[in-house]
This record gives sequence, structure tokens and C-alpha cells, in this order.
Amino acid sequence: MEKIKILLVDDEKEFVETLSERIRMREHNSDVALNGEQALKKMDNDIPDVVVLDLKMPGMDGMEVLRRIRKAYPKVQVIMLTGHGSERDEEEARKLGVFDYLQKPVEIETLMKKVKKAYKSKFESTMMAAAFAEAGEFDTAKEIRDSDEEEDMLNKDKKKSK
Amino acid sequence: MNEKEIKFIGKITAGVTHEVNNVLASIREISGLLTDILSITDEKSFPRKEKFQTSLQKIQNQVQRGVKLTSQLNKFSHLPDNNKMDVDLNELVEHLIFLTERFGRIKNITLQNLSSTQSIILQTDPFLLQMALFNCISYLLNRMVNEGGISICPQKKASEYSVIISCEGEGTDKSTIFKDAFSSEELLSLNSIMESLKGVYELDESNASIIIKITGIN
Repeated sequence: MEKIKILLVDDEKEFVETLSERIRMREHNSDVALNGEQALKKMDNDIPDVVVLDLKMPGMDGMEVLRRIRKAYPKVQVIMLTGHGSERDEEEARKLGVFDYLQKPVEIETLMKKVKKAYKSKFESTMMAAAFAEAGEFDTAKEIRDSDEEEDMLNKDKKKSK
Repeated sequence: MNEKEIKFIGKITAGVTHEVNNVLASIREISGLLTDILSITDEKSFPRKEKFQTSLQKIQNQVQRGVKLTSQLNKFSHLPDNNKMDVDLNELVEHLIFLTERFGRIKNITLQNLSSTQSIILQTDPFLLQMALFNCISYLLNRMVNEGGISICPQKKASEYSVIISCEGEGTDKSTIFKDAFSSEELLSLNSIMESLKGVYELDESNASIIIKITGIN
């Protein structure tokens, strides 16, 4: 089984640390950030596959974190996990490209299913490029690969400059 | 109470329910972790494993119950946010029944939503409308003897919207249920609410019903 790298972002320490422990018991890698700034800092050094993100947090709120992740790390999938988000919040999050939007508390098995789905979708763009290439649509395949490569290069540059 | 005071109560309630929900989420995860640990523990090393598992499941069930309550309370706290919006009458009645069924349960009186499956949408003040319906339910509950039922039926005929709140129970005397009704606290309050909603109410003695009629805000 592939180990998924998950970053949990929530200001509720007891909740997020326990959830992290439960995820690790299920043989995946899990790290915790207690606020948006900490989350983005951690991602600069170690990019997760999936981020599970709370909406309402002190300081930088979840929506802003989502915006920044989608801009700087478009391949990272984000699942929003919130207490009482409104329909408007869900709409805004989906427009920003959130992978899924869940209400807290959530059954861990439900969350893990969504995480696995999100992780799987990460590889779809790679497989899509390969499929287009195989079908002879090399321009489309190159477009998809270039957008992935650009992100990889940007992230390598970030690490070098540190 | 004026609009600002109501909004203040709503805002504080919304904030606190959010915090309570976070507490419930933590309890759920911690009890979930215990369940996980238990699943890899054998009976030999932990003879009371089954009892522990049952108790953890009960914790989870109560957490679920708590989450439902905070969710509905949060929804209620947001009602004063907008005094003119599209309201689904069926959903509003369902929500009110959830919030108030405890009052009925204490007297063994069941609250029931008799709405049809079709949506009935009107533009109105959801907070005031719920308050109007609550006053009707409250009036009937206070005059019913223990055991019985209150049914709430939203309807739409042409451009008129109505909600019929009826009571029945063997011990309840329909002929006296509306005695001195107009001087009661609940119906005096209902009077002023209906004015704000630009609606009226009627008493149907033969069916022991209070009928709320609203045309909707334009």
C-alpha cells in the first residue's frame, strides 16, 4: 500500500494531534500544523500529497491558506474539514479548487476514503498526459506535462534558495 | 426585543455552538483512537475488552447526538441574519420540531410534521415565522393534558401560504382549549409577530387548530 503524506491544519490541538496519530496507525505519514502560517512554512520544506484544512482559524483563515496552496502547489490536493461552514463558504472553496468539503466531526474511514481519492487524482494528470501521447495528441500531452514540470521546477528553486 | 438584540444573541450562540462542536470532534477522535488501540489488543491481555468496546460505542453515539443538536442550534442562531429571504416552509417546520420536541416529550406529546413532499417556498422573515409557530405550539402544549399529539401542516393555495397547527389527545378538551385565548401571553405575542409578517391567524375551535396565514414579503 502506498504511503500518503498528509498535512493536517487545525487550531484545535487535541483534535488534530489525535487525528494525526490515528492516520499514522493506518500506515500513512501525517504531520500537523496549528495555523495557516505554520502549514505554509512546513510545505516549503516538505510538500504533502494531501492537506486536510480547517476553515476557521486564528490569523490566516482556511480560505486564504487554500488560495495560497492552489497557487504555489497546484498538485497538492486540499480537503476542507470544517465545523459549521456555510453554503457560501463551500461554494467559494470549490471555486478555489478544493478537492472536497467535509463537515466536522467526520468518521476517520470516510476521511481516509476521501484522502485516498484525492491522492489518486494527483496521478491522473500524469496518466492523462501519457494517454494523450499514446493517442497521438502530443501537444495536449506536452501541455499537461509542462504544467506539472513547471510546478516541480518552482518547488526545486524554492528549496535551493533556502 | 429589537433586531440588534436578537442578532447579538444569534451571534453569541453561533460562536459557542462552534466551540462545542470542536469539543465533540475532539471527544470523537480520542474515543476513536481508543477503539483503534483496542482493535489491536487481544482478549487475553484485556479481559474486559468487549465492555470497553461497548462503552466506546456509546460515547460515539452520544457525540453523534451532540453534533446533531449543535448543528440545528447553529442553524437557529443564524435565522436572524436575514429578515427577508426564500424560506422552505417544510424545512422550517422540520427544524422547529427538532428544536422543540423536548417540550412535548416532557408531557408525552408528540410533535409531527404533516407537510407534503413538495417544497413550499416563500419570501419572509424566517426568525419571526418560527417564533410565530413556536407561540402556537407553546399555547397548545400549555393547555393540553399529558399524552397526545400536535401536528403542523404547511400548505399553499394560490398565492396564500398557511400553516395549520392542531392538537389532539384523549384528555384534551377541545371545547375549552381556546377559552380566554386572546388574552394569553402566547397569542398576544403572536398578534404582534403576525403584524410584522403581514399575516393573520385564526382559531378553529372545532378542530382545535391555530391557522397562520402569510402572503410573503415582496
